[in-house]
Amino acid sequence: MQTNYFILMHHELIIAITIMLLLVIKVGSDKLSNQLVANVTNGLLLASLVLGFIVQPEGNVFGDMFHTDGFALLQKNILVAGTLIISLQASTWLKDYEHTAEFYILLLSTLLGMCFMISSRHFLMFYLSLELSTIPLAALANFDLHLKRSSEAALKLIISSAFSSGLMLLGISFLYGTTGTLSFGEVASAIQLNTPLQLFAFVLIFAGFGFKISAVPFHLWTADVYEGSPVAVTSYLSVISKGAVLFVFITVLFNVFALYAHSWYYLIVIVSLFTMVIGNLFALRQTNIKRFLAFSSISQVGFILIGLSGGTHTSAASVVYFIVVYIFSNLGAFGVIALVQGLTGKENINDYKGFYLNNKMLSWMLGIALFSLAGIPPVAGFFGKFFLLLSGAEKGAYWLIAIAAINMVISLYYYLNVVKNIFIDKSDTSIEKLPIAIQPRIAMIICVIGVVGSGLCGGLYQYIFDLVK
Amino acid sequence: MSATYILFWFLSALAVVSALMVLFSKNPVHSVLWLIAVFFAISGHYILMNAQFLAIVNIIVYAGAIMVLFLFVIMLMNLNKETEPRKNIWMKLAGAIAAGSLLMILVSLVGQATELSHRNLLMKDGDIGLIKNLGKILFSQYVVPFEITSILFLSAMVGAVVIGKKD
Repeated sequence: MQTNYFILMHHELIIAITIMLLLVIKVGSDKLSNQLVANVTNGLLLASLVLGFIVQPEGNVFGDMFHTDGFALLQKNILVAGTLIISLQASTWLKDYEHTAEFYILLLSTLLGMCFMISSRHFLMFYLSLELSTIPLAALANFDLHLKRSSEAALKLIISSAFSSGLMLLGISFLYGTTGTLSFGEVASAIQLNTPLQLFAFVLIFAGFGFKISAVPFHLWTADVYEGSPVAVTSYLSVISKGAVLFVFITVLFNVFALYAHSWYYLIVIVSLFTMVIGNLFALRQTNIKRFLAFSSISQVGFILIGLSGGTHTSAASVVYFIVVYIFSNLGAFGVIALVQGLTGKENINDYKGFYLNNKMLSWMLGIALFSLAGIPPVAGFFGKFFLLLSGAEKGAYWLIAIAAINMVISLYYYLNVVKNIFIDKSDTSIEKLPIAIQPRIAMIICVIGVVGSGLCGGLYQYIFDLVK
Repeated sequence: MSATYILFWFLSALAVVSALMVLFSKNPVHSVLWLIAVFFAISGHYILMNAQFLAIVNIIVYAGAIMVLFLFVIMLMNLNKETEPRKNIWMKLAGAIAAGSLLMILVSLVGQATELSHRNLLMKDGDIGLIKNLGKILFSQYVVPFEITSILFLSAMVGAVVIGKKD
């Protein structure tokens, strides 16, 4: 019997079944309760998450097309949990939205693509699942159907992702031409040092990845896309989509291009320097809170790249740990923003003046999330950044760590500026007390527990570190 | 020089010249027509590699369906010299320098790539492109990518319907 296949692919199967179920429900009935669709999806996502922690198979099926182990399962669990939180947060917006079922179909398609991408050990499979995780996102970015800037965001997203796919495909075909295979393992053993064409292939593949994680020379449209998309999609783009690509990036860098480690070290250091500095400098001047978080997420990617430059098990573990922390803190911030935007339509930083006066809980939530993003000790963001810099320092580039520390200080200024707006500044037109529905409330509580807990509970990092091996 | 060699050089020259004409024609409709010529030349290359199925699909899908869509869009947009946005001279210069360096790197890299020469196109027995073998491999070794593609098309269709239906 081939039941093994079903157990190995249980994340993907549950998500695929959910997609088909939603499609059938949508086609079958005219008057669909949005609440029902959301509840079914959240329930199945939760089931997938629970199953992901209980059933932990390892194996390699369909050649190298699908490979799973404890590390891959952890990464999928992180992504599923993040998607679940976003889905809970979006319920305020989705309640009266006319295309809720389609929203979930597209969202889950991208999640499916990411799960397959994490499990792929073959460039063809990797490319296809990367496309599956970006093309539906472009449609999602357009889901504020009557806003012009939403269409603009979708167009910019699809153009930049098509361009980056083109670069990556060119790189992959050079790799195929020189090695004669597409499987990660065989490519890794067929790669030879001092072959310029393979080095060039790596640069092209790196550029493709750079677009997806919006590292600095490739970041140009990121802020426009984030500003134009609906808040739920923005948070998905900035957290889940980036996280998934970074997970695969770890595999590609550390396994496939392990032989070129001395070359990509410098590439990553330079890109991470530019990403941190430019992301920070642009974040300083933003007045729209979504654009602000877009640039803040760019500068966070710079820190992640420092962690990656270490090139050891420690750096893989520190990157995954940071992404867990980053998901909780960024989603905490986006949860509040989604609520405020959904109920009042305000999304400028100035609109948050005097926010603490009427919304005590939301203010604390946003405050803690921003503290974590800035990396201030009691919350998890500090430990995340600490481990990243520690693994970056393994190669002995202390000047790089010094520049990163200066950048952390700069970032402190703009994060605390928002906190000051919320807690200290007074305003005559401060936002009224907002009602919080049960789903966003649950999501917020999860985020707060995550932000505080993942920092205090030291076992988490050790758990990830053990899985990496 | 055998017939295959002559055909190969003829098709390559045709592809390069047509590709250049795509770029240099002033009229966008002419560009599209030259692009169809490029696709035909590439299909010829596929046939030389004994990949008949790929050649036919390339003609039907790309030269046929997609290019007709291109023509429609271009004719509907009514592009001409007046509607062309004027680009900054420095932008043009930067683009030319960047693309020129890329071309230089590509040419020099491929020129000195010793691992590419004497490769027999990685075609194994030369019958991999036949429809029977393609079908077999598509439903055994490559079945997961095949299924993923179908989900990709499904979600792309759902997205297109939602965006296209807005009132």
